[in-house]
Amino acid sequence: MKKLKFEKIDTDCYVETLENGLDIILIPYQNKKDYYISYVAKFGSEVNTFIPAGGKKYKKYSNGVAHFLEHKKFEQSDGTDPFQFFAESGTGANAFTSFDSTQYVCYGTKKFEKNLEYLLKYVNAPYFTDENVEKEKGIIKEEIKRQKDIPEWVLEMKIREAVYREHPRRISIAGEVEDIDGITKEELYDCYNTFYQPNNMFLVAVGNFSIESAMAIIKKELGTKVNTQGKARIRRVKESKNVANPDMQLSLNVKIPKIALGYKMPFETFQIKDHVELDLYLNMFASLLFGSSSLFKERVRNNNLMTSFYYEWETIKGYKTLLIFAETENPELLIGEVEKELQNIETTVDDIERIKKVWISNEVKAIDYIESMVSSIIEDKISYNKVIFNRVDLIKKIHKKKLDEIISKMDFTNRAKVILLPNKIITKEQ
Amino acid sequence: MEYVEKNFGSYKLHMIKTNKFKTIKVRISFRNQIKKDEITMRNILSNVLTYSSKKYQTKRDLIIEAQNLYDASIYIGNSRYGNYINTDVNLTVLNDKYTEEGNYEKAIDFLKELVYNPNISGNKFSKKVLDIVKKDALTSLEGIKEDSTYYSIVRLYEEMDSESPLSYRMCGYIEDLEKINTSNLYQYYKDMINKDLMDIFIVGDIDFLETEEMIKEKFELKTFKKSRVSYYLPEKKARSKKIYVKEDDENAQSKLSIGCRIYGLSSYERNYPLTLYNIILGVGSDSKLFTEVREKNLLCYVINSVLNKLDNTLIIRAGIDKENIKKTVDLSNLQMNLMKKGKFSEEDINKAKEFFSTSLDSMLESESSIIDFYFMMDILGLDNLDVRRKKMQEVTKSEIIKVAKKIKMDTVYCLEGIKE
Repeated sequence: MKKLKFEKIDTDCYVETLENGLDIILIPYQNKKDYYISYVAKFGSEVNTFIPAGGKKYKKYSNGVAHFLEHKKFEQSDGTDPFQFFAESGTGANAFTSFDSTQYVCYGTKKFEKNLEYLLKYVNAPYFTDENVEKEKGIIKEEIKRQKDIPEWVLEMKIREAVYREHPRRISIAGEVEDIDGITKEELYDCYNTFYQPNNMFLVAVGNFSIESAMAIIKKELGTKVNTQGKARIRRVKESKNVANPDMQLSLNVKIPKIALGYKMPFETFQIKDHVELDLYLNMFASLLFGSSSLFKERVRNNNLMTSFYYEWETIKGYKTLLIFAETENPELLIGEVEKELQNIETTVDDIERIKKVWISNEVKAIDYIESMVSSIIEDKISYNKVIFNRVDLIKKIHKKKLDEIISKMDFTNRAKVILLPNKIITKEQ
Repeated sequence: MEYVEKNFGSYKLHMIKTNKFKTIKVRISFRNQIKKDEITMRNILSNVLTYSSKKYQTKRDLIIEAQNLYDASIYIGNSRYGNYINTDVNLTVLNDKYTEEGNYEKAIDFLKELVYNPNISGNKFSKKVLDIVKKDALTSLEGIKEDSTYYSIVRLYEEMDSESPLSYRMCGYIEDLEKINTSNLYQYYKDMINKDLMDIFIVGDIDFLETEEMIKEKFELKTFKKSRVSYYLPEKKARSKKIYVKEDDENAQSKLSIGCRIYGLSSYERNYPLTLYNIILGVGSDSKLFTEVREKNLLCYVINSVLNKLDNTLIIRAGIDKENIKKTVDLSNLQMNLMKKGKFSEEDINKAKEFFSTSLDSMLESESSIIDFYFMMDILGLDNLDVRRKKMQEVTKSEIIKVAKKIKMDTVYCLEGIKE
């Protein structure tokens, strides 16, 4: 095991890559009672065309198959229920599918070794039958319907549909109700055999445990596991430059209108080629313009122009997209304010230094929360394929001149817009 | 973890020392007997106090100051504890070890500024700020149905007992919002500061003596207050036959909420066997409700039960399809009846005990929950951590059955979605 340090925040991290390619990242804490373990497959909803393990040709799989597989992973051939197993020691368990990963987690304060061993065992023991696949379809369809009742969720999906033309990020993680019927046990086995392999997975544990016993269990369970194939071959689509739909409007069961904006920018726009550094600069830009202490925020707050507002940068191959979400009674006015802000960007050293202070403070605070430590490591691994140990230094190095250069190259004209209006407003207009 | 309590007469200071956190959390807690028509006023007051102050005239000034204090955060929240309304003013700040000498004290000054030096002139709050806050509040009150889970619970309580604090909407009421002006808000503020019961909690890697001196000096209050009213709502028997209430909604899914009354428990029963009963019935993904209603009968995506000891209620909540309402209620009722008959195993009990002990352990990993725990212990006179752990381990099956017999369905409320 290699011992590495998160610079400036005084926390050790132990990493090792097994011969079969499985990455292990362990952060033991002395002063905590709880632990959080996550076992991650680099396989999410946006992988839907690939050469399955043992096959020769590309094959298209049902939308939503990664999420379906995650649900079915809880089915065991001997009829045991992983939730029950974890519950016996009062341990919580769950699983999540995102666009680019699937993670299986357990968290608690007791029986670390037994629970780690079981987590690795059950995730690596697929048991899909026609019958149990069929049975799950109802539950998944219900989950899809439930999501559609959540306006924020609809907005997140719709803006991606409006921004991306070809990239599967425009497809909802769980798929649509009609996609679910096409899913078979064969599809699940293909996905499992192709992506749930040591060279495509990693394990993160943070909290109260001993490194020696954790490593012993991991090596016993996974040390001898061999990959069924080399690196998985996935068909990547080339995303076109323009947004798919610059102007989308729909009605939903909301009381207050909601908006989303997506500014899509090709990666070539930026002179910084390192994604870690670039993302910090992009976030600094967004924070200065739209963060809680920005002049923009002060203005829209004082004019009651929004009841909620947040933003994020999103990466797909070849593009960075700034997504803005808001709830507002005056969609057009608020969008006007955002646009006005983007036309006239000025940064100050004072503001930059203050935001840096906030970010560095947050890096320190995050250590107290084992769950947020785990998720930030997973995010690093998925976005950058490595854990970022020198983030505090990188933050300190952010420089106004470099930031201004980046901003000067940004193009805000390639924009997608989604407005969700209450049902009755649309009816009135008709 | 060490705990020290100091009674300064007009308020109590509770200090909890632990080296688990890199931050220090301070909570000033104000509380008084709840009155329905004051809830909205209190919500508005909380938002006005965190919008500006005498020294920080705009929200932006205030946020910039918080950021300069190494991203200290201040949050005010209102909640109901039985018969009481509680206003928590929370400050979270990094320990000086990770910032600079004096930052913690400056953050406490900042907290004090927001609570005790508001933006008033001539016994009135700023009209500009009040207008902004009121307008935002109106928008969210008009959108109350948007959060259908919250809305369905509120409606259930209203159907259970529209007179009792049980049914009070903590988000407030539009008709009360209209009555709030800059001077009656100031009057209310003064009342809260002078008449409410008050506690200060501080948790973190602190020095007891230093902290005590600092708080005593900064929060020098003279009034003496005493609580008279019980925290518990009066017990009420369930109706002899449960009633069904439904309301139409445009969502695809229906939100089902079943309200149960708990009647005639001893304080021991309420704090021990009842907790285990609820865990077995409807907490977590191996509970009776989850396994029977969701896993075996595929009737819903989520189902769980929530206990409110101060209100003597237990609520079962589920997201379901409209046509499954009756079936879900019947199956839930069956699970409750099976528990009355003792149809649950020792293994179920042991798992529930494990679950409880893990929750206690995890509770100690969060500063907020540590404060919540000591707060409840103090106001309700509950057993301390060690006693609680020990007594819970000793709860028997027959004690849980006895409690099960004292819980009964009262009202079924359903926010009915569009049928597919």
